Parts: sequence; C-alpha cells; structure tokens
Amino acid sequence: MIAASFRIFQDDQGRQHVQLFGQWSLREPLNDFAILRKSLQPFFANASTKWDLHEVEQLDAAGASTLLSGWGNKVNDNISLNPEHAKLFNILIGLTRPLDKKTERNLLTPLNTIGEGVLHLVEHLVEFFRLLISLLIEMAYLFRRPQDFPWREFSANVYKSGVNALPVAALLGFMIGVVMGYLMSKQLHQFGADIYIVNILGLSIIRELGPVLMAILIAGRSGTAMTAQIGVMRVTDEIDALTTMGISRTLRVVLPKVLGLTFIAPLLVLWTTAWTLAGGAFAAHTELGISYRLFFEYLPQVVQPINLTISLIKGLMFGFVVALVACHFGLRIKPNTESLSSSTTSSVVTAISGVILVNAWFAILMRGIGV
Amino acid sequence: MNQSVNKKMIKRNILQQEIICDVQNVCTEFGDNIVHHNLNLQVKYGDILALVGRSGCGKTTLLRHVIGLTKPQSGRVVLFGQDMRAMERLAQRRLMNRFGVLFQQGALFSALSVFDNIAFPLRELKQFDESIIYQLVMHKLALVELEPRNANLLPAELSGGMVKRVGLARALALEPELLVLDEPTSGLDPDRSHNFINLIKQLKKSLGLTVLFVTHDMDTLASLAERVAVLEDKHIIADCTLQELAEIDHPFIVNFFQSIRSRLQGL
Repeated sequence: MIAASFRIFQDDQGRQHVQLFGQWSLREPLNDFAILRKSLQPFFANASTKWDLHEVEQLDAAGASTLLSGWGNKVNDNISLNPEHAKLFNILIGLTRPLDKKTERNLLTPLNTIGEGVLHLVEHLVEFFRLLISLLIEMAYLFRRPQDFPWREFSANVYKSGVNALPVAALLGFMIGVVMGYLMSKQLHQFGADIYIVNILGLSIIRELGPVLMAILIAGRSGTAMTAQIGVMRVTDEIDALTTMGISRTLRVVLPKVLGLTFIAPLLVLWTTAWTLAGGAFAAHTELGISYRLFFEYLPQVVQPINLTISLIKGLMFGFVVALVACHFGLRIKPNTESLSSSTTSSVVTAISGVILVNAWFAILMRGIGV
Repeated sequence: MNQSVNKKMIKRNILQQEIICDVQNVCTEFGDNIVHHNLNLQVKYGDILALVGRSGCGKTTLLRHVIGLTKPQSGRVVLFGQDMRAMERLAQRRLMNRFGVLFQQGALFSALSVFDNIAFPLRELKQFDESIIYQLVMHKLALVELEPRNANLLPAELSGGMVKRVGLARALALEPELLVLDEPTSGLDPDRSHNFINLIKQLKKSLGLTVLFVTHDMDTLASLAERVAVLEDKHIIADCTLQELAEIDHPFIVNFFQSIRSRLQGL
C-alpha cells in the first residue's frame, strides 16, 4: 500500500502532465486530502493540464470527490481514467448538487420573530393551563375514589425533594443568615441601634428570604430532576406504556410530584427559615454581643406571627408553581438530547421567574398585613 | 540470508494482514458472573462472520471488546495487527477509523439531522470542505438507497429501517475495512430485513468489506453469514460454515441447528 501521491512532468509540447498513483482512499491512514488538494491546486487551476489516473491502485468516493471538486465537477478530455474509476466519477457527478442557499433579507424578519415568540408563548400558556385543569380534574376524581391516590409516588417525591434537601437547605440558609447578619450589624452599630437587628433580620428572613431561598433551591434541585425524569420517560415511551395500562399520566406522574412538592415546601420553608435565623443570630452574637436567648425571646415580640403564616402560604404556592412548571416542560420534551437540555434549562428559568412573580404579587396583596 | 529473512518478514506481514481481528485469550467477568473464559476468535479479511449464542451469553460484550469500548479483564484484542490499548491517541484514532460500527438502536446523534449525522465523521477528519462533504454524504445516502430529500430529517422522524440505513451510511462514511453490526435486522419486518441483508452483501462485494455481526435472527444468519462462530459456555465452541455446523455434536448446536435446517433447505 502506498499513500496517495502524484508525479508531474512536461511533455515536448510544454504541457503539464499529472500522474496520480497510490491509494486515493480514506483507507490509507497516511492520506491527508486537504494537503493533497492544496498541492494540486496550481494544476487544477491550469485548464490544459493532462491528468493520468491509470496508476491509481484504489480510488474511493473521498478521493474521487476531492479530484472532482478541483476539476469543477466534470471530467473532460484531459483526464484519462480506468473504466471502473470513470463509473465512480459518473456516480458522483450524477448526485444532486447542494442548493444555493438564498440569504435574501426579509424586512419583515424582526416582526416575524416577535410574532413567532408571541405564538410560542400563547401555546405554552394554553398547554400549561390544560395541564393545570387536568390536574384539578384528577384531584376531583381522587375525592370520589381516594383509594386510587398514588401514595408510594407521593411519598417517594416527599423524600426525594424534601428529606434529601434538608442538609443543603440548612447549609445555604445558615450561610446567608451569617452574611446578612454580619453586614446589618455593621450598619446598625453605627447608629447604636443594635437591638433592631432582630426586627430587620426577623422580618426579612421570615417573610421574604426564607420562602424565596427555598423556592430557588427546590427549582434547581427538584424541578430539574422532575423535568429530566419526565422527559426521559417520554423518550423511552414509558408514559405511553402507562397510558396503555389505563393509568392516567397526570394521575401517576404529574400529580404525586406536584402534591409532594406542595406538601413538603412549607416544611422546607420552616427549616430554611430556622437555619437562616440561626445564622443571623450567630452573627448578631459575635458582632454585637446580643445573646441567643435575647434574640429569640425578642423575635416574636417584634415580628408579628401573621408573617409566619404568610411565609407558609408562600411556600405552598412556590412548591406548586415549581413542580407544575417542571412537569409542563418535562411533558414537552421531544425525543432528542438537544430538546432535553433546552427544556430543563427553560424549566428552571421559568420556575424561578414564576416564583419571583408570584412573590411580587403576594407582596402587593399583603402590603398592609404584618408589617 | 538477508533476503530470506526479508521474505519471511513479508510473508508474516501478509499473514498478519489477513487476520483483521484477533481475539486472544479474553476473559471477562461481571462480579461473580464469568462471561468469557480464555476465548479466542479470529476474523479474516473478506469474511462475513456471524457471532451467535443464546441471549445473555456475552456476544454483545465480545463485540464491545473488539471495537474498544470495554476492556477485558485479561487477554487482548488485536485489530489490523495492532493492540488498540497499547497505542498513543492519534494512532488509536486512525485505527478506529478503519472500522465502522452499526449499533443495535442505530445510535444516531438525536440532535443532528441525517445529513449531519453522516457528515459528522467526515467533518472530524478536517480534510474536506463542505462541498466535498456534501457530495460524499449524498454518495453514502445513495449507497444505502435513501433519497436525498431524507437528508434533512431528524433521527426521531425516521422509521426503524431508515435508522438502520442511516446508521450504516454513517458507519461507512470513512470507508472502513471492517464493519461491525450489532443485531443488524432487529426491529425490521421480514421484507425490510431481507433488503437490508442484500444491501450489506452488495456493499461488502463492492467496497471489499469484512463483516462481523451478532444476530438472533435465523433468516439473517442463514442468508448473510459465510462463517458462524458459536459462543457457548464462555468459549467459542465452533467456528465454521453453516453446513459444517450440522456435523458438530454439541447439545446447543444440535438444538440450534434444527431450527435453521428447515430454512437452509429453502436456500
């Protein structure tokens, strides 16, 4: 086996001859068609060059195509071939040519993009509400037939998105509590308003930070897991298998996830809030010398208990939103890897945006209460 | 003296060239489960070798050893006279370009179109510009008898037979010498699987391929295989033509052969 190579000589009429020999094939590992093509370029450019392929041992589509592209996709009289090579060249020439891509600029393109975006959004909303309604219908069905409630899946979801999230929620809450407590202590100390640290930390953490922190955590942790799981179930036809067994996918797949997360979210809010407050109390103790006992005895006096109720309701709603959004995106996944990754991303982004939107709406609704 | 040594060397080279794939003393265990024990198998140039055996006997595992996806606990696999495990990266890659694999489910890149799937290995070579790649992809599509208009479809939009064809076209993109097929006809109806076998046979003839495949399908075996290797009880217990298989007295082979005898008579 010899790698693809060529020899050049001039005949007495001064015409250049290129004689090719060796293996003009991808099978010969030493071939590099990019280099061959470059070194043959001057002879391709010269229309009077004679080509002789009789010495070529093996010619495959890759070698032939490289030569053809140099010859301008045709075989003319200057080229002498073996019949079998000629056959290959004819096959290659007979193939459809790439269509010239028309890159006409359309003035309406930006408008089209906006229009498509709006339609896309509307489609999403319609699907989302359809899912929500079918979930409500399934719940109504469960009131009539409580024995159909998917307890195992429910409990598995509570464990996966709740119990397993406890350590990371505690760590995250405590850290943020310490950082906030430290910064606020510095500021308040300048005014001699040390004791107000309890008011500020208490209100902000219980009412806002705890629930939102928890929501972001479960959106990143459980929301993505749900989207990916449902997506893969769709790709592997598991959802269809469920349907053929007469089991509603909403009942078995979506409902336990949504109810599980909605159930566990308020408890996670309590847990996260407690650790964040502990972090704040720790910072207040080290920076301002406020004892833990004073901190926690003073807390209920300055933060109205209604704030805790608001916080728990928020937790409930955030859990519901995150799980429902995750299921919505999971059910839209198409059977390819690109769709899986983009849907999972959209799921988290939408869930967190949704949570913040709901939070803002809640803040407006509850503006006179508890502050 | 010198010349005779030279001649010997050449002779040995030719002999080594003829054996494309040489599985030597391979042992594989999954935990307590011993799958292969001192297994030997050779694939010679121009063979169409079928690997058969009962479900779960380690056929696909052996195939995965051959193409370098897994490493046996002991023993080695020599491909084209070289041990892939003992090579540097670039040489390894070149060696891997010398065989093409068609996976059972096609293993097409689901995010890429049919065209891009076939163009993928060609683009990775970085030797061709897009117009040449276009021509080569169209050539491969024509080889596996697919229409150019199918080139823009995504793998999810293809039927089972088309997935196999596109997978075959991708496996053939780099003009391999060895074609490794895992269950080439599973999931195809008899008509399509018949066509697919004819396609492989015809490509084998025109491209000078060596084919190694695993199958459970008796029709595929009877119509495609020139040699059969039977994997049973952790060994290759037979490596011969289908006709010779009839004379071997081994419970598994006897049992196995009865089911294909009727089919062979039809041939």
